Amino acid sequence: MTAFSLTRRGVLLGSAAALTMTAAAKAATLAEIKKRGYMTVATEDDFRPFEFTKDGKPTGYDQELLEMFKTKAGFEIRQDIIPWTGILPGVTTGKYDAAVTAVLVTQERMKTLDFCSPVVESVDYYLKRKGDKKIQGIKDLSGLPLGVEAGSAMLKMLPQLDDMLKATGGSLGKIVSYQGYPEAYQDLALGRIDYVVNVWLSLQTIAKEKPDTFEVGEAVSKPTYIAWPLLKGNTELLALMNEFLLGARKDGSMYALQKKYFDTTYEHMPEAPTANV
Amino acid sequence: MGNGDYLALAAGAANTIAVSVLAIAIGTPLGLGLALIRWGQIRGLDSVVAALVSLLRATPAVTLVLLVYFALPTIGLELPRFAAGVATLALGSMAYNCEIWRAALLAFPPDQLDAARAFGMTRGLRLRLVVLPQIARAALPALVNEMTLLIKVSPAVAVIGVIEATRAAVRIGAATYNPIPPFLVALAIYIVVVGAFVATQRMLERRHRAGLFA
Repeated sequence: MTAFSLTRRGVLLGSAAALTMTAAAKAATLAEIKKRGYMTVATEDDFRPFEFTKDGKPTGYDQELLEMFKTKAGFEIRQDIIPWTGILPGVTTGKYDAAVTAVLVTQERMKTLDFCSPVVESVDYYLKRKGDKKIQGIKDLSGLPLGVEAGSAMLKMLPQLDDMLKATGGSLGKIVSYQGYPEAYQDLALGRIDYVVNVWLSLQTIAKEKPDTFEVGEAVSKPTYIAWPLLKGNTELLALMNEFLLGARKDGSMYALQKKYFDTTYEHMPEAPTANV
Repeated sequence: MGNGDYLALAAGAANTIAVSVLAIAIGTPLGLGLALIRWGQIRGLDSVVAALVSLLRATPAVTLVLLVYFALPTIGLELPRFAAGVATLALGSMAYNCEIWRAALLAFPPDQLDAARAFGMTRGLRLRLVVLPQIARAALPALVNEMTLLIKVSPAVAVIGVIEATRAAVRIGAATYNPIPPFLVALAIYIVVVGAFVATQRMLERRHRAGLFA
C-alpha cells in the first residue's frame, strides 16, 4: 500500500462547481462570526496524515493545527467532519466559513476560493526501478512510458516536465493513466512503464517500503502548495487565520507537527500560496 | 482492526439501518399517493407528478443529498444532516415506488371496480377494500426489491457527514492502510440487513398464500 497521496484533488470538482453556480454564497465575515459567537469549519475524515479518524475521533496534521487555532481564535469553532466530496461545495455555498483540510492550490480553485498561508509544500518527483541504468537524469526520461493517476494534479503538471525535456531536445513518452497509484507502482515493477510521477512524499514512502524495487529520482515540477480554503473575498477572516498560521511557523509549532506527521519540515514556503498548476 | 473500529462499524450499521428504514417508511406511502394521483388522472396534478418523478429518477443520490444539504439553506431551508439524508433517500424512494405502485394499479382488473361500483361502494371504500389489498400483494416483490436497492444507495448520505457502515469502513481503511477487513465487515452488515428485508417479504408472501388456500 502507498502511504498517502495528494492526488484526488482533481476529481469531483464538477459537483462543487455546479453547486457554486446555483447557490448564492453567504459565508460569515469576521465581524459576523464575532457577533454570533462561533465560526463553522469542515474537516475531512479519510485523508491520512492530514485528517483522519482514529477510533471515531478526528486526528492528523490539520486537526492538530485546528486545535491550536481553537485555543487562539477567541471565539467558538464548530467543526463538521465530512468526506472530501462535500468540502468544497460546503465552502462555496457558505455552509462553512472555511475548510480546515488539505486542498491543493490551483489556478482553477483560486477563481472561487481564497487560500490561507500554505501548510505543506509539494513537489512532483519521478520514481524508477532500482538500478535502471537507462535513467540517469531527467533528460533520459524522454520517450519512455510513464505512469500517473488519472484526473490528478500530477497529470496536469506533466507539461512542466515536457518543457524540461524539450529544453534538452527530447519529449514526453506515452502517458499511462491509472485509477490509483498502487497499480502504477506494480506496472513499474513489472517493467510495463519506466517511471511514475507523484508527489515526493508519497514516492519517498514507497521507496522506503520497497528499497530493493524502487528509487526516487529528481524533481519534475515547480512546487505546489496545500492550504486551507475559504470563500473568495472573506478578507478579514483570511487575515486572522494567516496571523495564526504564520505565528505557528514562527514559534516552530507547525514544523513540529510536520516532523510528526510527514517526517520532514517545510521551512521555506512563501507566506501566500501561489498556484503553479 | 481494534475494538474501537468494531464499535465505529456498529455505529455505522445503526445509521445505515435508521436512515434506510425511515426513508422507506416515508417514501413507500408517498409513492403510493403519487401513483394514485397519476392513476386517477387528476387534472393538472398528474403531469406535475410525472415531471417530478422523472426529475428525481434522473438525479443521482449523491447530487441530490448535496443539493438538499448545501443548496437548500441558501433559500432559507436548513435541515440537520441526518434529516437531510433521510429526506434525500425518501425522495428517491418515493419516485421509484410511485412507478411500482402505478404498474400494479395499471394491471388491476377494471371489471372488479365496475362490480364494486354496482354494489354502490364509494370511491374510498373501493380503494381500501378492493384495490389496495390486491395491489399491495402484487407490488410486494418489486417494492422489496426497491428497498434493497435503497439500502445499497444509502452510502451516498456519507457525503454530508452521516457516517453509515460504508463510510465507517472507509475511515478505518484510511487510518490503517488496510481497507479489506473493514469492508468485509461492512459487506456482512449489508448482507444481514438486506437479508432481513427479503426474509420479511418471504414471510408475508407465505402468509398471503396460506390465507388464500385456507
